[in-house]
Formats: sequence, C-alpha cells, structure tokens
Amino acid sequence: MRITHISLHNFRNHAKAAVEWAPHLNVITGPNGAGKTNLIDAIHYLCMTRSFAAGSDQYVVAEGEKYFMIEGSFEGEIRSEFNVSCSYSRGEGKKMFVNGSPLDRLSDLIGMVPVVVLSPEDQKLTYEGPSERRAFLDGFISQISPSYLRDLIAYRKVRRQRNKLLQEFSGPVLSLKQYLEPWNEQLVDNGSRIVARRTEVLNQFRRYLAEQFETFSGMKLKPDLKYQTFCEPDTSSSQIREWYENKLEQNLEKEIEREQTLTGPHRDEVIFYLGDMELRNYGSQGQHRLFTVALKLAQLFYYSDELDDLPIMLLDDVFGNLDKEKTEILLQTLQNHTGQTFITSATEVPFDKLDCSPGSGNSRFYLENGLIEKKQ
Amino acid sequence: MQITSEALERAIEQLARLPGTGRKSAQRIAMHLLRQQDETVFELTEALVELKKSVTRCSVCGTITDSDPCNICSNPKRATGQICVVEEFQDVYIIEKTNEFRGRYHVLGGVISPLQNVGPDNIRINELIGRVNGMNEEINEVILALNPDAEGEATSYYINKLLKPFEIEVTRIAYGIPMGSELEYIDEVTLSRAFASRNTF
Repeated sequence: MRITHISLHNFRNHAKAAVEWAPHLNVITGPNGAGKTNLIDAIHYLCMTRSFAAGSDQYVVAEGEKYFMIEGSFEGEIRSEFNVSCSYSRGEGKKMFVNGSPLDRLSDLIGMVPVVVLSPEDQKLTYEGPSERRAFLDGFISQISPSYLRDLIAYRKVRRQRNKLLQEFSGPVLSLKQYLEPWNEQLVDNGSRIVARRTEVLNQFRRYLAEQFETFSGMKLKPDLKYQTFCEPDTSSSQIREWYENKLEQNLEKEIEREQTLTGPHRDEVIFYLGDMELRNYGSQGQHRLFTVALKLAQLFYYSDELDDLPIMLLDDVFGNLDKEKTEILLQTLQNHTGQTFITSATEVPFDKLDCSPGSGNSRFYLENGLIEKKQ
Repeated sequence: MQITSEALERAIEQLARLPGTGRKSAQRIAMHLLRQQDETVFELTEALVELKKSVTRCSVCGTITDSDPCNICSNPKRATGQICVVEEFQDVYIIEKTNEFRGRYHVLGGVISPLQNVGPDNIRINELIGRVNGMNEEINEVILALNPDAEGEATSYYINKLLKPFEIEVTRIAYGIPMGSELEYIDEVTLSRAFASRNTF
C-alpha cells in the first residue's frame, strides 16, 4: 500500500500544505521544530484515525483555528486507488471518510492501510508498565484482524458494565453473582478470543523478532518475549474459556473488595527478554533502543508476510540516535524492503547519498518554516 | 435585538426541543404555523394533547395503546402461547408490519445496563415472569427479540436463566445476513454468527 498524495489544512504548523510522495523511500529533513513529525503524523491519522505523537485531537488543530483536515490518496494491490480523509472540528469532533463517504465507526478504518511507526515515543514500550505493551499488541493485531478489534471494543464495554455492578452493588453476594452472570458470559466469550489471538500472533511473531534483532544489532544475545495471562502459556483455544471461567469464579471475592474486574486480557503482560535477562529492569539504554528498532522491523516484516498489501513504515527521528554501523544496516534494510517508507531526520547524513533521481522511487524533502521543498 | 412576540419565542423554544429539530427548523415551523388557518393549527394541537391523554401503556404487554389491554392482548386469535420479548414499543410496531408473528408481545421498556443505572428490576422482567407463571395465559414459548449488542445479550441471558424452571421453550430470533445485502459488505462477526446458526436447506 502506498500513499501518493497528501494535503493538510490547519494541521499543527501546516496551515496549508500538499505533497506528492515517492513510492519507495521518502526522506524529510529540516531543522528541529520545522514540522517534520507533523507530516508523517498526518499519514498516521489516515491509517489509524489518530496521532502517534499528540495525546488528543484538539492539540493537533493549528493554534487559533477551529478545525483541521487531512486528505490522502492511496494505491495498493487489493484496491487500486482510493482516498481517505479526516476532518476534525472543535464542535463536531472527528470524522473519517473513504472515497468521500463517511465511516459509521472510526474503527472501520483500522487495517485498511496497515502502518508501522517507530518514534521516540516507543521507548515507553520497553521502559514503562504493561499497558504500553498491551496497547502495542492491540494496535498490532487490530490492523491484521478486524474481528480482534471488534472483540476488544466489545470486551471493554462489557468490562465497564461489570465494573459498575461491582462498584455499586451492596447486598448479598448471591444476588450479585446473579447480576454478574450475564456479563461474565460475554466477558469470557470476547476475552477468550482475545487471549487466543494474542497467543497465536505472539508465537508467530517471536521468529521475526529474533531475525530482525540479529540482523540489526549483530549481538549474540537472543531476544524473546513471554506472554503472561490468566492461563498457562500455550493453552489451547478451547481450554482458555474454561480457565477464564474458573479464574473469574476464584477471584470474585477479591473483585468485590477491589470493585473491579481482575481477570482477563486487560491485565495481560508481555515481557521482553534479551537472553535470560528481563529487558525492562536490566537492559542498558543501548539494548533498549536496539530492541525497540528490531521490534518494529519485525512488525513490518510480519505484516509484509501476513498481508496482501505491504504496510507503510514511518520512522520519526530514529536515525540521529544510532551509530554509523546501525544506521547503515537500518537504511539498507529499508531500501531492500519494497514497501513505502517515510523518514524524518534533523541531519542530512546519511541520506545525502541516497539515489533520488527520477525513476529511483525515492524522494527527499526539505522542510523549513512550514515550507516543503522537494530536493533535486 | 428586540422580541416583538414572546409567544412566538416560546413556541420556537418548544419546537426546538423535538428530536432532529434545530433552532432554524423550529423557527421555520413556527412561522409556517402562524400563517395557517386557526383550525388547522388547533387540529394539530388537539392531536398532540390527545396523544398524551388517551395513549397509555397496556397493563399486560406494556406497549402503547388507546384501550387497556391493547387490541393484541385482547384478541383471542393472538393467544398462540407465544410471547415475543422486545425492548421498546417501536419494536412491536416493526414486527407487526411483517405480519409474520401471530402471538403476543412483552415490552421491557429498556435493557439491563449498569452504566445507565438500569438493573433487572427497573425493566419489566418481573411482569414477564408473572405472565409465564400466571393463569391468564397459557405460555409455551418465549421468543427473545432484543438487539444483538452487549446489553441486549446480557438481558436475554438473564431472562433465559429466570425462565429455566418453567420448562417452556425459550428461543431467540436468528443472527443473520440482512436480505438484499451482499456478503462482501457483511462484517465478520455477523457472517461467522450466520454460519454458526445456519439452517438445513
């Protein structure tokens, strides 16, 4: 899948901008604060309906303006040509359109244009708590499986209903159980499918991670990940349900005490390892960085194998933090991969040697004071 | 700005409270009514007053009616032993239009949703059990026709559980593909459910 054109209106510091993108590598350089990240964040909006950098849509609207607009043209294997646009106004909120017709649910867009992002934000993935990794995993699987995303949304809704019951109920436990039962049924139903899918995908993904880490880091240490949920590792899909029902039963007293749902995929954890070492606690800063890059490259290649259309890769401000050797390996990997890639960088090196002649499939852009200039 | 008629202003405010009507449309309607013959407008207001005055809820099934019990509940031909459970009276109207179902209804007036502070006792579940348990009707099948969302499912589950001891048939309307649609555009959940509940041809 490729994006051929994007136009922005009041999107952060871009009052009005339009860019024609190259089919392979697109490198955007320019001084800090020029708006490089914003350009690729706009692409992210058209793939995932939200920013990868800003927390909320309202901060994305250019200062003093009431709305923003993004329009993009895409081409790919499954659908030859289509447009995706996103409009947001402070009064009416956000709407997404495909070929001009509005989507009923924003989530319907997810997966249409698969995307992989690598940005400074990603250091949270290896340094911070489990929710960051769950969010990564959910975004990861949602893009290849709409039914997973639907299960997630349904699960969240049922869990909120159930939590409300646990918070407000004061009466005999027996009648609470009676009230919880209809919700348990759906919690277990959706939750078991989520756990089964996570197990399956992570098992396949492991190999990709090892491969990318080895190529990219050159280290002998083997990366790994361990999926922790309410059942033993690699429980078969049919048995996950049973485990879930039993655990839920066992945890009831604790749930009443803590007034929330305590069993389920919303409490899952993915632990990253290098060799026998738990990365989060014992990894050096360099190891964290290498792991994160390998993780995202593995996602890119996993998608490339699993999906009919190649994903779009966005690398925000990644190259500045890598040594010369790693820089070359990463750039080479991206050049060999035939999908479309976007790179932002404050420095011209190493992209000054990139072939950007007509027909190369690559382009370089220079961005300063909100003005985008294509380099020849 | 100066208001030359407070009555007009009040009418606009009231009209603007109707669903799908903004202030602009409310203004247009109010102006239109002003230009009409008096009788035409009184006919409208009378119909509205009558709507509120004479339409009540059927004490048996809970649907809206001019006479209690409603003409479905009082029609002996509809005593088929089947009760179709729906969320709102609109659903009765919709199912009636199909002319397919010949039994009676039970309107719950909502679905269980703790987040909206609606529990089983806030909707007409006890009344349903009363009908099944009672002597007035000979019920042998309860058909659940609630929306297939989280709340509808939870409510169906709850009712099914309560009806277990009565040893009557509890069924639900099928999950499936809307007529006239194309498989290509059906979401995966609907499609996989439709597969799971497929029928012999």
